[in-house]
Amino acid sequence: MFFHIVLERNMQLHPRHFGRNLRENLVSKLMKDVEGTCSGRHGFVVAITGIENIGKGLIRDGTGFVTFPVKYQCVVFRPFKGEILEAVVTMVNKMGFFAEAGPVQIFVSNHLIPDDMEFQIGDMPNYTTSDGSVKIQKDSEVRLKIIGTRVDATEIFCIGTIKDDFLGVINDPSAG
Amino acid sequence: MPRRRGDEEDEDLEPEEDQEQAYDEEEEEEEEEEEERGMASRKRRRSNFIDDLAEEDDEEEEEEDDDDDDYGGGGGGRKHRPKRRLGSQFLDIEAQVDSDEDEEEEDAEDDFIVDGGADLPDDDVGRRIHRRPLLPREDEQEDVEALERRIQARYSRSAQPELDDETTDVEQQALLPSVRDPKLWMVKCAIGREREAVVCLMQKYIDKGPELQIRSAVALDHLKNYIYVEADKEAHVKEACKGLRSIFSQKVMLVPIREMTDVLSVESKAIDLSRDTWVRMKIGTYKGDLAKVVDVDNVRQRVTVKLIPRIDLQALANKLEGREVVKKKAFVPPPRFMNVDEARELHIRVERRRDPMTGDYFENIGGMLFKDGFLYKTVSMKSISSQNIKPTFDELEKFRQPGENGDSDMASLSTLFANRKKGHFLKGDAVIVVKGDLKNLKGWVEKVEEENVHIRPEMKDLPATLAVNEKELCKYFEPGNHVKVVSGTQEGATGMVVKVEQHVLIILSDTTKEHIRVFADDVVESSEVTSGVTRIGDYELHDLVLLDNLSFGVVIRVESEAFQVLKGVPDRPEIALVKLREIKCKIDKKISVQDRYKNTVSAKDVVRIIEGPCKGKQGPVEHIYRGVLFIYDRHHLEHAGFICAKAHCCIIVGGSRANGDRNGDSYSRLANLKTPPRIPQSPKRFSRGGPPIDSGGRHRGGRGHDGLVGTTVKIRLGPYKGYRGRVIEVKGATVRVELESQMKVVTVDRNSISDNVVVSTPYRDAPRYGIGSETPMHPSRTPLHPYMTPMRDPGATPIHDGMRTPMRDRAWNPYTPMSPPRDNWEDGNPGSWGTSPQYQAGSPPSRAYEAPTPGSGWANTPGGNYSEAGTPRDSSSAYANAPSPYLPSTPGGQPMTPNSVSYLPGTPGGQPMTPGTGGLDAMSPVIGGDSEGPYFVPDILVNVRRSGEESVVGIVREVLPDGSCRVVLGSSGNGDTITALPNEMEIVGPRKNDKIKIMAGVLRGATGKLIGVDGSDGIVKVDDTLDVKILDLVLLAKLAQP
Repeated sequence: MFFHIVLERNMQLHPRHFGRNLRENLVSKLMKDVEGTCSGRHGFVVAITGIENIGKGLIRDGTGFVTFPVKYQCVVFRPFKGEILEAVVTMVNKMGFFAEAGPVQIFVSNHLIPDDMEFQIGDMPNYTTSDGSVKIQKDSEVRLKIIGTRVDATEIFCIGTIKDDFLGVINDPSAG
Repeated sequence: MPRRRGDEEDEDLEPEEDQEQAYDEEEEEEEEEEEERGMASRKRRRSNFIDDLAEEDDEEEEEEDDDDDDYGGGGGGRKHRPKRRLGSQFLDIEAQVDSDEDEEEEDAEDDFIVDGGADLPDDDVGRRIHRRPLLPREDEQEDVEALERRIQARYSRSAQPELDDETTDVEQQALLPSVRDPKLWMVKCAIGREREAVVCLMQKYIDKGPELQIRSAVALDHLKNYIYVEADKEAHVKEACKGLRSIFSQKVMLVPIREMTDVLSVESKAIDLSRDTWVRMKIGTYKGDLAKVVDVDNVRQRVTVKLIPRIDLQALANKLEGREVVKKKAFVPPPRFMNVDEARELHIRVERRRDPMTGDYFENIGGMLFKDGFLYKTVSMKSISSQNIKPTFDELEKFRQPGENGDSDMASLSTLFANRKKGHFLKGDAVIVVKGDLKNLKGWVEKVEEENVHIRPEMKDLPATLAVNEKELCKYFEPGNHVKVVSGTQEGATGMVVKVEQHVLIILSDTTKEHIRVFADDVVESSEVTSGVTRIGDYELHDLVLLDNLSFGVVIRVESEAFQVLKGVPDRPEIALVKLREIKCKIDKKISVQDRYKNTVSAKDVVRIIEGPCKGKQGPVEHIYRGVLFIYDRHHLEHAGFICAKAHCCIIVGGSRANGDRNGDSYSRLANLKTPPRIPQSPKRFSRGGPPIDSGGRHRGGRGHDGLVGTTVKIRLGPYKGYRGRVIEVKGATVRVELESQMKVVTVDRNSISDNVVVSTPYRDAPRYGIGSETPMHPSRTPLHPYMTPMRDPGATPIHDGMRTPMRDRAWNPYTPMSPPRDNWEDGNPGSWGTSPQYQAGSPPSRAYEAPTPGSGWANTPGGNYSEAGTPRDSSSAYANAPSPYLPSTPGGQPMTPNSVSYLPGTPGGQPMTPGTGGLDAMSPVIGGDSEGPYFVPDILVNVRRSGEESVVGIVREVLPDGSCRVVLGSSGNGDTITALPNEMEIVGPRKNDKIKIMAGVLRGATGKLIGVDGSDGIVKVDDTLDVKILDLVLLAKLAQP
């Protein structure tokens, strides 16, 4: 799920950036530092949409670095248990398949794939129904439900299922 | 054992001959015996009809009589014994005591307690009872009256024990000792002489007769140091024990009535043997194998178990055909399901028979029964163990194979549950009822009592809490739960539940991304993420380690006692399972290499593989070693995501992070691109040995000193002593230095600066210099570099670590662009900077030095800092203050180099050379000068590594005056003799318990033994003095085995 929230961060700025463009430097550094990161609480920071407020800088003794408390608005993405997501399959193997929804990696175990879908090994490993009408392979788009999440410092990993009503392939590249 | 023999005879006779006849014979036999035995036996016989304990007095008399009979006649007793034994089967319990003691006297091998119990007679009788129905024909052939008579005759005798079998609880209760009964006293005796003590008491009783007022004495096998004596009064016990050496009767303890039964109760092992229990075989081919009980014959103490057969069909076929069977004792066939067809192919006769009892069909092969591929085997209860059986998952899986269905699971569960630890359920656990009426009810644990667990059911209409037996509960998890395995083979692993199959969970492991099957019982919910064990000793998952045989690899899995290592062999993944001791050390340094297009790649840079089997994979570089990259690709499922590839098969993707473009320096990247192709490593190495550039004034001519410009130096002498600054200009013998602390440029003598402060001495030496200003820095260092020395690349001598690179590293000013285009200096002084950081494959691991050094943070010294990738050694900043005046930028500096002269004189700090001891100079002439190189001494093991060659182990035979060494190749010193330059050699670091030679310090040249390692210090026992010294590990070299 996406959220638009305000976060705060202490930015350290090298003195060489001081000057007219200090603010720009600060913001660009903030973007570099923050966008794409992941925190357990808020999930992935997708984009910074604005700066609320930059506090007073504090010069750090000895280094000349200045610390600015910066409040910024950003869009974050955090997957939740039970959430239904659409994701792109990135890899298929006999244990299941991996899919990505933006920065989030989701694993769908073969136990959580409908029983009528069988793993087919080959050049393009895939899961296929017995009648061959539905096929999950790399780059397929699937709709899945997240049943578990694990949040690390740097990534969020989810386990999903497509063994439920209205879940499964929504767009098959090979069909198109 | 005579009595046993008697039984066996019976047994043998019965099945083969006509039953009736057998019995008759038996009877006759017995009768004869009885007649012979006269009075006593008649009494005994009578006693069969008497409730054994009720009429104690009577029995005691009897007992006494017995004793009189047996022993009163002196030696005569022995003669009679065999016969008496036969009769003794029919003795009652009380009377048996003496027979047992008797037996013991003769031969103590039998288990006292077991014999003391009443099971033998029971058993005997029971067997007979049991056999009867097996022979139904017999009855038809006789007239009923005869039968009746016969039965009467037989059973009248054994009626008593038979009744015993069926005693109700109440009757049992009545037998318990009361206050009026004699008491049991515990008496101390000599350890190991318990039996002897009891026998002595018995002998005494025999000798003295009723004078001795004790009733019985018992020694228990499992109780050392004590015997039990039954008597009415303590005084009686003391009296009886008087004069017996092995008994210490000072302290006689009364056994409380309550506990009396426990003293003599026999633990019955077979108690919980029931169908479907899991057991393990204790002996034979199947020793240790898991088996499932299919039938229990409590009477005969035999159990039918179902096993996975371990049968060598070929051998069986040979045997059945009467061919010679080669006996290979060591070979135990692997467990495998019996395949009847296969057996038939080998011409083994397979009969299909119906079991008359169960109605099931069995295949009978060579007398063994098979069904569904399982072997059904009837074994004695003693040959199986039923306690604490914890079938592993695999074993259970195997058993399930042919049988499939879920019902049997429940049964096997009961065994599993029996092995639960205490405190298995905790408040709040989600549970599910697996047995009984409430089956499949989910709930949460509210309270745990002994056996019962109170659960709060999930369903609304049920009462608030329900008490459920622990055994009917199983932990419950839902897909998506994050759990940790707390017991079993997968202990410690964490993962997310993917599927729940009854009590079995399928978990997706966090680290390996593989499925693990575990019992729900072995798991707890946890948010912790681990891969199970992630470290053994000093090595952790994903560490780059150097192995014994000088190969290296990344730890990709930590197993209970070994590591799985993905070896650093590009092109094909090679996995090795290595034990802790096979790992030499952890390689932990920041090296950078060049990719296909000569871009510098350092750790954490994202690269893409463009050649080889893993072509197309992409990921951050985790480790670099000897031109091999270990790349972590999270999409790569094998080998924990690690891929091993040659550096030149990869291209860097995006910017190099290590290059600092994170800080927004675009030009550092540019610099990379501009970097001219590097000169191969080796030539540089040599140059390292050449005239050190550092402080030597003489050599600074030409471009040489340009290298100094921009470096941060420290002033060692004069009014500005202790100041640090950046070199602005070098003019002949003087340099102009911009001081960091004052806005001022000063001119100082070239000799009075230590220009390579950045590099400085190895951290370990520093403290010894005791220069005040530095001191504070040092503490931080040491912990940072615990591994430095050992991991260096061959060629880099351990001692150098600190000093290699004269400068630059960006570590100490993390935010500075380290980027002045590197060609600047490279081009500028290729010669003098021959040892420039880039080439130092062996440079010590960089530990990021987080805190920017005051003052240096902003110094973007053009020449100095940018060595980005080139100088992996981030840590060197730590040394920035290091006081080593003499430390040249010549890491490998060869001794004798003139430059040493140049600074020696002026250096206050300068005697050093050999860290730690100023006085060393004299002692180590070879090393003269400033070379911080290894102080090679003869007889030590070194790795000789020359350019383009594998490193070879050799032994230093002789150290030549110029610092190079004559080295005999081969670890035993039988190879070629070569002359190696110091920088081509790397000392083989000793390990614990190795013989070592001390390379420096006052003890230089001394040998000893490394008895321990404490961080970077080694604890050495010096051979000559036997002193125990704590020395820096770098100063120690492994001594060649003579």
